Amino acid sequence: MIFVTVGTHYLGFERLIKKVDEIAGKIDEEVIAQIGSTDYKPKNMAYFTFVEEEKMSELFEKSRIIVTHSGAGTFLRILNYNKPIVVIPRFKKFNEHIDDHQLELAEVFNKKGKAIAVYDIKNLEDALEKTKKIIYKKNIKNKRLITFLKDYIGKMENENMHGSIDSISS
Amino acid sequence: MKIALICCQGGHLTQMLSLMEAFENQNVFFITYKNPTTDQLKYRKYRVENIGTNLWRMIKTFFIAFKIIRNEKPNLIVSTGAEIAIPFYIVARILKIKTIYLESWCRVKTKSGTGRMLYHFSNVFLVQWPEMLKKYGKKARYEGAVI
Repeated sequence: MIFVTVGTHYLGFERLIKKVDEIAGKIDEEVIAQIGSTDYKPKNMAYFTFVEEEKMSELFEKSRIIVTHSGAGTFLRILNYNKPIVVIPRFKKFNEHIDDHQLELAEVFNKKGKAIAVYDIKNLEDALEKTKKIIYKKNIKNKRLITFLKDYIGKMENENMHGSIDSISS
Repeated sequence: MKIALICCQGGHLTQMLSLMEAFENQNVFFITYKNPTTDQLKYRKYRVENIGTNLWRMIKTFFIAFKIIRNEKPNLIVSTGAEIAIPFYIVARILKIKTIYLESWCRVKTKSGTGRMLYHFSNVFLVQWPEMLKKYGKKARYEGAVI
């Protein structure tokens, strides 16, 4: 199953959904799409707008390929699944986002070999084909940022405690 | 310690949730947007109307922020963006409450509008890609990322 997701953005992603719908009409594999705020209603695949987190996890788990917009939230989640990822950045000129920053994550993960980036939507079918040859390694979460925050909070707690002891003794 | 966690829905919220281990045993509450995806957020929360680029709503949220922060008196405010954080960080500066701002993980090469502004209003300003350090300035720090 190919699972397509465009996240929770208030703008739709018609360019992607239309193209996937077109491809879904030609292939045998099942395609399911989370279309978010997209107005276009697919004809050749199952779709829904938004769904609970648990259901999303279930679909990520069940899919063979994940096709996604280049949103940080989605990326962060799907890197935990051992699945091929095809990523399509939203662009401002198509009224898909407020700017072109989605390009940045797409480029980074394409370069790292963690995803196949598609910048021109007509290359999507080729990208889907390419995923059959790639094996992805599971991502291991680095705890550095969590440790930094914990330490910072710990230091603040110590200071607060000393502060209150000082005020009692004085 | 009481900690306010501020973020929009979507990627900003996912990034915050991936950091929850850092706030274990702390008294946390969220400030986020009213949105179907934040309905299910299982923490104590305040939800405000989407600001976006609407100046009037920004001003309105500033007064809401003042009320919430004065009542809650958090020891620390942490935000993963985006613009929802702006009025709260201005209030935090006025009320001398410590703040940490984490520039979004999706900012690899360019600064966000919110980051540009809150660089000046936060006590600790973190970026998630080392390349972003020189884009901002001396105050910016790289201490790892959400992944």
